[in-house]
Amino acid sequence: MTPFLKNMFVIARRDFLAIVATPTFLLFLLAPLFMVGMGLAGGMGASQLADSTRGTGRIVAVVDAADVEELRAADRRLRDAFTRGDAPPPLEYRIAGQGAPDPLAITREKGTDTYAVMTGPLASPRIVERNADGGSGRYLTLLVNQVLRDRAAGEIAPAKPRFESIQRGGTSIAVQQSLGFGAVFIIFLLTLLLAGQTVSSLAEEKGNKVIEILAAAVPLESVFLGKLLGFLGVAVLFIAFWMAMALAGGLIAAMQIDAATLATAQSAGEAAAALGAAPATGWPFFLGIGFVYFILSFLLLGAVFLGVGAQAATVREIQMLSLPITIFQVGMFSLSTAAASAPGSTLSTVAQIFPFSSPLAMAARAATDDSKAVHLLALGWQAIWVALVIFLSVRLFRAGVLSGGGSWKFWRRRGRAAAIAANAASATAQATDPH
Amino acid sequence: MNDYSVEATGLTKYFGDFKAVDRVSLTVPTGSIYGVLGPNGAGKTTSLRMTLGIIDPDEGSSRLFGDQRPQAVRHRIGYLPEERGLYPGMKAREAIAFMGALRGLDWSEGRRRAATFMTELGLERVIDEKVRKMSKGMAQMIQLIGSIVHAPDLIVLDEPFSGLDPVNQERLEMLVRRERDRGATILFSTHVMAHAERLCDRLAIIARSQRRFEGTVDDARALLPMQVRYTPRADADPGAIAALLPAGAEMRGDSWFFPIEDADVEPLLARITGSGLGVAGLSITRPALHDAFVHIVRQVDASFEADASNDAVEEALA
Repeated sequence: MTPFLKNMFVIARRDFLAIVATPTFLLFLLAPLFMVGMGLAGGMGASQLADSTRGTGRIVAVVDAADVEELRAADRRLRDAFTRGDAPPPLEYRIAGQGAPDPLAITREKGTDTYAVMTGPLASPRIVERNADGGSGRYLTLLVNQVLRDRAAGEIAPAKPRFESIQRGGTSIAVQQSLGFGAVFIIFLLTLLLAGQTVSSLAEEKGNKVIEILAAAVPLESVFLGKLLGFLGVAVLFIAFWMAMALAGGLIAAMQIDAATLATAQSAGEAAAALGAAPATGWPFFLGIGFVYFILSFLLLGAVFLGVGAQAATVREIQMLSLPITIFQVGMFSLSTAAASAPGSTLSTVAQIFPFSSPLAMAARAATDDSKAVHLLALGWQAIWVALVIFLSVRLFRAGVLSGGGSWKFWRRRGRAAAIAANAASATAQATDPH
Repeated sequence: MNDYSVEATGLTKYFGDFKAVDRVSLTVPTGSIYGVLGPNGAGKTTSLRMTLGIIDPDEGSSRLFGDQRPQAVRHRIGYLPEERGLYPGMKAREAIAFMGALRGLDWSEGRRRAATFMTELGLERVIDEKVRKMSKGMAQMIQLIGSIVHAPDLIVLDEPFSGLDPVNQERLEMLVRRERDRGATILFSTHVMAHAERLCDRLAIIARSQRRFEGTVDDARALLPMQVRYTPRADADPGAIAALLPAGAEMRGDSWFFPIEDADVEPLLARITGSGLGVAGLSITRPALHDAFVHIVRQVDASFEADASNDAVEEALA
């Protein structure tokens, strides 16, 4: 092992242990529990809300008693074509009484939303609908047409279709794109949660003055890289912990509800379909490269934050930095999601080349594009940028902080250089002056 | 083996428009104890930092162990910074091993040596104590051990004595001598003259950003004339005595005080014995390093006030 790497691991080891061997780390490790809890509560609330609203919408047909059965049959047939979410609200039948019914009075009835009301004879119905462009009115028209056509044509034997899956032809592009999006989101979320810590990592050394020992003993590059590595270790530990928890949870769940799940053929089929969906590069490669891209995303952003945080003089400055940092990350996220939803576009090429969004965008690309060599290129490119950012951070740190100036106003330093030049000029002028 | 462990020439550093260090050169013979003396804010720490390559000089260069860049020989250097710092959450033994590991020492060897050193220095009670529970002086001793645990060839100590009680100061002096006997070169800064006088083989005095003196302790003391303290027999006439002694002599109590050049000692003795005034007491002593230091610093300050050119002062002192 070269001395540089050795130094790096000494620093990384210290940082890793200093973080992990504290009670605070436990809180940090378990923090997602709060998120999961909140998510569960929120999800339950939302689904209850959805359940309670689902029954309230309706469309109403005020028709002659003779037409009801035909309408009901046609309604059943038509609804087969809709998937659950797209279906129009339930149809409510009213028998037309004496005199013209008032559709507006029906829409004003309490307790439920009425989207459309149809009155009058089937040949020329009057439809009152809430949204001029809503689907409810069009559905009622379709329904009436169906009934009229049935009457004209008589009974027709329904077609007997045979359904076959096109699964074998490969995963659909839409599914692959959503896999890519998922990869972008997960990497972004993990980086957002974990990489931001690096911004304050040099504050400790600056606060307790250890920085001078480090700077004297080892190259600053290995201090910076070592710190980054220590934080990466913490992040990987965090992820591994939750992966293990998720796996254990999954196993326990699988053992407890085996028969019940197998019985519901429909959900089993859905699960099988989800598993059958594969990213273009295949699951093992996709997961592996996704993890590698997470590491690079972490290193890239972490290096930037470390470098910026190293320039900050006080804790308050570091706190102030957290907002721009979050915004920067969100910016990279939106760029990459935009790229993930439009593979092959100029935007996605830009996102893949721009170093700080590159890991996210390239992970998304692994879902939709089956070429693998390009990832090697991307990893090399990103690694170069990690090195570059570290190099620049160290240069800035040496020039600004360690040289005692403490000021990171580079324009001041330029002023100083000018002053030195002026002094030198005046000195030579005096030296050459015969008087 | 090189004759010089440190060869820094023309080190110059600006902080803003302020010239913190101005063409300072340090040449430290291998195997010697070398002191850098100077008043507060003279530029000692900055000079040492540049010598070790922690900060880059604006002008000049530093070479260690022959023609090596300081960054290339880090594992052969031990450094105690002026601003003491340890990770408060670390145990003493770990902190020392960590500092050794930074310089390439094996962790387990570092822990072992840490325990040995701490026992020697009377710190065995706190070997497995966390740094935050220690007194400032204790932590400083820990850090000192940490900076020499890897048996470096060059040990640089920035104000090592400040903050230590007399017992620990004594231990530190012992440690410094022992490291020198081991073959290490020691470069340290201080503004306490007593330590420098006892320890240093050579020293440099830095004042107002420039090096104003370089040489042995005796060289420094020789900058000032010897001081005479003469007490005549009680019944002597003051007027007669004043006529006998050089013009600058002044009487305090029973005694007369005046400086004397080396060549004038014997003639003076002859005059005194010849005069018949008698000798109740007589001492001729070299001034202490303290006086030489104060003299040099005052002279530099005076020259600044008199707006004289810096170069002239340096020449006059050299």
